Amino acid sequence: MRSEGSATDNSQPVLECRDLRKSFGELTAVDGVSFHIAAGETYGLLGPNGAGKTTSISMAVGLMRRDGGQVLLDGEPLDPGTTSLKAKIGLVPQDLAIYPDLTARENLRFFGRLYDMPRTELRSRVDEVLEIIGLSDRADDRADTFSGGMKRRLNIGIGLLHAPRLLVLDEPTVGVDPQSRNAILESIEQLGSEGLAVLYTTHYMEEAERLCDRIGIIDRGQLKAEGTRRELAQIVREHDRVRLSASGSLHTGAEAIEGIAGVQQVDIVDGGIDVLVEQAGNSLMAMLSALDEAGVSITGVEIDEPNLEAVFLHLTGRSLRD
Amino acid sequence: MKALAIAASNLHRFARERSNVFFVLILPMLLILVLGSVFGRGFEPRVGLVAPGTGDLTTALVDGLEAHEEFAVHRHTDRDTVVGAVERGELEAGLIVPPDYDDAIRAGDTVEIDFIARAGQDSLSIRRTIDALLAEQMALPRIAAFVAREGEIPYDQALAQAAAVAGETAGVQVESTVAGESFIGRRSWGQFDLGAQQQLMLFMFLTSLAGSAALVQTRRLGIARRMFATPTTVRTILLGEGLGRFGVALVQGVYIMLGTMVIFGVRWGDSLSALLIVAAFGLVGSGAAMLMGALFSNDQQAAPVGVFLGLGTAALGGCMLPLYVMELFAPAVWTAAHVMPHAWALDAFEVLALRDGGVGDVLPFLGILLGYAAGFYVVAIWRLRSVLTR
Repeated sequence: MRSEGSATDNSQPVLECRDLRKSFGELTAVDGVSFHIAAGETYGLLGPNGAGKTTSISMAVGLMRRDGGQVLLDGEPLDPGTTSLKAKIGLVPQDLAIYPDLTARENLRFFGRLYDMPRTELRSRVDEVLEIIGLSDRADDRADTFSGGMKRRLNIGIGLLHAPRLLVLDEPTVGVDPQSRNAILESIEQLGSEGLAVLYTTHYMEEAERLCDRIGIIDRGQLKAEGTRRELAQIVREHDRVRLSASGSLHTGAEAIEGIAGVQQVDIVDGGIDVLVEQAGNSLMAMLSALDEAGVSITGVEIDEPNLEAVFLHLTGRSLRD
Repeated sequence: MKALAIAASNLHRFARERSNVFFVLILPMLLILVLGSVFGRGFEPRVGLVAPGTGDLTTALVDGLEAHEEFAVHRHTDRDTVVGAVERGELEAGLIVPPDYDDAIRAGDTVEIDFIARAGQDSLSIRRTIDALLAEQMALPRIAAFVAREGEIPYDQALAQAAAVAGETAGVQVESTVAGESFIGRRSWGQFDLGAQQQLMLFMFLTSLAGSAALVQTRRLGIARRMFATPTTVRTILLGEGLGRFGVALVQGVYIMLGTMVIFGVRWGDSLSALLIVAAFGLVGSGAAMLMGALFSNDQQAAPVGVFLGLGTAALGGCMLPLYVMELFAPAVWTAAHVMPHAWALDAFEVLALRDGGVGDVLPFLGILLGYAAGFYVVAIWRLRSVLTR
C-alpha cells in the first residue's frame, strides 16, 4: 500500500471532472460523478462490473459525448472535439487495443505517430518503453504470438509512449496471470512515484488498496464515497484490527493496553490478544511497551487495516464481486 | 500525415498476410489467362479436310482453305474419321477432296467434292464460304480447259496463259463497312481484353469488401477508439482508414492493368482515362468497404459476407456475363446490371478500348462512379462517427 498523504491535494488538479452525466436510452450509466486528480496522485475508481467506471473515464478522456458535466484537463475544458489536449493523456483501455498482426515495435511506432512524435524521438522512446514493459527481447515479434500478460504490457506501453501528464488505466489487469499482474502493478506504482497523475479503474479491492492514494467508490453510476482508504474506513467507522501472538499472562497484558488512547476493544483469543484500534500505527508502540511491562512476551504482530470490501458493502449493500 | 500513417499501417498489414498476395495479385491474372484462353477467341468453326492428292490444283485448293479466316482447317487422312468427328461435334463440317482432283479437272470432267455437315446455321455459312472459294478457284482451270480445247495447246500452257491474263485484268473489290451497334461490330475485343476488364472490376470490389473485415476488427478490438483518444480527429481516422482501403484497391487495379498489358497484350485504351476509371472504381470499392466496416460488428461475419456480396454484385454488374450479351438477349437484365457500379465502369472501358475514347468521353461514367463512392462514404462516415463518439 502506498503511504498516506502522498497525494498533492493542494496543487492544481491535472484532471477535474465535475458532475458527469451519461445515459443510454432509459439506462443512466453515470449520474453526477465528480472527482479530481493531482500530479503525482493515483486515483482509483473502484466498483463492480457495470458500475459506470468505463463510461466515466471515456468522458474524462474526451472519448465520449457527455449528457452533462464538465471535464477540465490542466484547467482547460476537454470535449470529444478537443484534439490538442488529448496529447496530455495516455489511455490504456480495458480492451487489448493493439494490432495483433503488427509487432510490438510496430504497434508502438504507429500510435507514436498519432501522437505527433518526431521520428528520432519516437525511435528512442519506443526502445525505452519496450524496456519499461519488459518486451525488449520480443520487440520484433507479432503481438498475436504474445501471452495475455505480454499483450497487457504492450497495451500499457502504448499509453506511456508519449510521456503523458495523465495516465488512464481501465482495468489493466483483467485476465492476467498473477505474475504478470504483479509486474503491471509494480510498473504503475513506479509511474505514480515519478509524478504522473494516474486514474485507475478496477473492481479488485486489493489493487485499489495497493496503488491508489485516493479512491472513489462508484456503483450504479454514482460516486458513493471518495477519499483515502482511511477516510473511507472512517465513513463506516471501521478500525484497524491488531492481532498480537503472545505468551505469558494474557489477562494482565489485556488490562494493560485497555487504557491506551485509540484502543476500542481488547479480546483474549487462543495464543494471543486481538485489539480493535482506531489507527494501529499510532497505538502500536504504546501497546507493545505496555505488554512488555506486564511481562507478556510478543511473538508476532498482524495488522488488518480497514477493508474496502466492507466499506463497499456498507455503502452499496452489495459485494464488489456482485 | 496521420491519415497517411493510418493508411500505411493498413497497407502494411494487408501486404503481410500471404493469402492476400495470392488473392490480390496472382489469382486475378490466372483467371484472366484461363477465361481468355477458353472464351477469348470467340467462335471459330472447325472444318475437317481430307485431300490425298498432291497436284498443283489440290495444293492450291488446300492452301486457299487454310488461308481462310472464317474457319480453321484440320487435316485428316480418311473420310470416316471426318464423319465421326462431325457427328460428335468435334468438327462443324468436313470436306473430302478426291485423289484424282487434278486429273479430273485437267480432263474437263466434273469433280465431286463431298461436304459433310450437321444441320444448322453454321454449316450453311461454311458451305457458302467453300462454294465461293471453289468458284474462285475453278475460274482459271475452266478458262484453261476452254483455251486448251479451242487452241489445241497443252492444258498447263493454257493454264499459265490464263493466270497471266487474270493478273492483268482489273477485278471488282467489295469493301464492307459495319454501321451501328451490332453484335458483329463488338467482335474487335482482343482475346483477353474483355476478361481483363471484368476481372479487374470483380477483384477490386471483392478485395475491398473482403478487406472490410479489417476495419471491423479495428473497431472490435477498440483500436479505432484508442486512435480517437490520441490527438487525432474522427475525420482523420476515417480518412486514413478509407485511404488504406483505397490504396489496396488502387494498387490491385493498376497492377492488373499493367500486368495484363504486358503479359496478355490487353488494350485498355487511353492510359489517363483508364487510370481515372480505376481510381474512381477504387473509391467506390473502398467506400463500400467502409460502409460494411461501419455496419458490421463481427469481422468473422464481415469477411464471408464481403466475398458473397463481391461475387454477387460482380455477377449482376457484368463481370461474369458480358454486358453486350445481356443487352442482346435480356435487355431487362442489362438495365438491372446498371444498378451496380461495375457495369458503368465496364461501359467506360468499352468506350476507351473499342471507340478510342478519351477523358471527355468517359466523364459521365466517372461522374456516376464518383456518385456511388460519395454515397457509400457519406453513410459510412456518419455511422462510424456516431459509433466512435457515442
